[in-house]
Amino acid sequence: MAKHTHPFHMVDQSPWPLTGALSALTLTMGLIKWFHKMNPNLLMLAMFITLVTMIQWWRDIIRESTFQGNHTSIVMSGLRWGMILFIVSEILFFASFFWAFFHSSLSPSIELGSSWPPSGISPFNPFQIPLLNTAILLSSGVTITWAHHSIMENNHPQSLQALFLTIILGLYFTSLQAWEYWEAPFSIADSAYGTTFFVATGFHGLHVIIGTSFLSICFIRLMFFHFSPNHHFGFEAAAWYWHFVDVVWLFLFISIYWWGS
Amino acid sequence: MATWSHLLFQDSASPTMEQMIFFHDHTMIILTLITTLVVYMMMNTMYNSFTNRVLLEGQEIETFWTIIPALMLIFIALPSLRLLYLMDEINNPALTVKTIGHQWYWSYEYSDFSSIEFDSYMIPSSENLPSSFRLLDVDNRTILPMNTQIRMMITAGDVIHAWTVPALGMKIDAIPGRLNQSSIMINRPGLFFGQCSEICGANHSFMPIVVESVNTSSFIKWMNSMVE
Amino acid sequence: MSTSIMSNVEALSTAPFDARFPNQNQTRNCWQNFVDFYRCRKVKGDDYEPCNYFKKVYQSLCPNSWVEKWQEQIEEGKFAGKI
Repeated sequence: MAKHTHPFHMVDQSPWPLTGALSALTLTMGLIKWFHKMNPNLLMLAMFITLVTMIQWWRDIIRESTFQGNHTSIVMSGLRWGMILFIVSEILFFASFFWAFFHSSLSPSIELGSSWPPSGISPFNPFQIPLLNTAILLSSGVTITWAHHSIMENNHPQSLQALFLTIILGLYFTSLQAWEYWEAPFSIADSAYGTTFFVATGFHGLHVIIGTSFLSICFIRLMFFHFSPNHHFGFEAAAWYWHFVDVVWLFLFISIYWWGS
Repeated sequence: MATWSHLLFQDSASPTMEQMIFFHDHTMIILTLITTLVVYMMMNTMYNSFTNRVLLEGQEIETFWTIIPALMLIFIALPSLRLLYLMDEINNPALTVKTIGHQWYWSYEYSDFSSIEFDSYMIPSSENLPSSFRLLDVDNRTILPMNTQIRMMITAGDVIHAWTVPALGMKIDAIPGRLNQSSIMINRPGLFFGQCSEICGANHSFMPIVVESVNTSSFIKWMNSMVE
Repeated sequence: MSTSIMSNVEALSTAPFDARFPNQNQTRNCWQNFVDFYRCRKVKGDDYEPCNYFKKVYQSLCPNSWVEKWQEQIEEGKFAGKI
């Protein structure tokens, strides 16, 4: 490690940015091959390369921070800003799908029968599974806050318990949504309703799975005592992401499930 | 219709187009004055050897040459807005004519009384008489009564087209699934030509529009003859 | 039909201005009058004369191809509007 008189972390040479860029290329080419040649092999390879890049890159960050102690408070501040800006970009990503939904639903075209839901669509009853899912995510918000406080109070057994509960709730949400998707009377191809519904809730579901994975990694790290009561940014980042996912669900529930029925 | 050296607008055939020509002339005077003034000032600056190396600012002149252009713009804006709102005045049409753009012809429907429908194809150059207007003449012209408020409803059957008649100051997009409305009042008899104004495929340049404006009794006679 | 439609100028009349649809896009105007005619007929019966106001308006405004397509859809039970 070079000596320097500034608090920033000058990282060592790493191949993961290059493999990450190559994995992005392979992903796009793989999608094209899948769409046009009906062959998913390149895409499967691309997903594998992407996954392995992520694992190794983040593993290296853990090694540099938790084990080698390179993350000063300034470095952590930079990471905080980075996570915040990333989540802001995700919010804008979802904003586009909400815009599409409101564009189609506020003034339904004559081809839909000038009504929303369009003629022939039977939407889900918002007060059955969707309401349960709302309760699940809100509760998971409580449990993750409990876990955070437990970490800050150096209560290891409770922090494990609370984080474990959060993950279980996340998995429960995902399985309920998957069942709803399977049982749905309409598909993504059924008018603007199907499109806006499945694209918005689908991307949300994907983000829940990402959030659950992030929390699971935190759980494993927590088991191995990586977090200290006042330095646990990995956990905080996961918690912020999880709250974001919860808030997006609340907007989805109110606009698409409830108002949109 | 436009001939080969025709630079400016065609003679107007509707009050709206007449107003547009007046507005164009008014704005053109202002533009000419401004351009002359600016060129004169540029020439003066170029052929001038006086120098004032301590000139930093001049609040009064700067205020002046900001306010005056703003005033000139208002002189253009007011007539412009007047004409814009004039075009959107509520009127009670006496006739509704529908036109549907296809690849590559227009079809017209007069459905107020009984259903009159016909297609209007360009006359191919090979079938042109020496007296025909090349690429502008059609087999069935759009007959419209003069001095009558007419509601034009424009749409398309396949891709986007646009229904244009410069002499009437009209250019309206013909969009599949959408019904666009425009109002015309033709104030003289005659033939008025236009061409499709939205790229629509191979024969986009070969689907013209010909409006034939006739007096009301002739129009009614024509309608009666079309019904049989 | 060999009888003339009308014999004098005063007989020219068409769908009046509808303040519900003041702008250029008249798609909804056409559709609404079409749907209102069928709803009127359903509620008031086939012989109720005032329903024909809606019929006159939609015939004036709507492209014939749209009307044919919608009538076919009504017969097949596929029409999107509620009648």
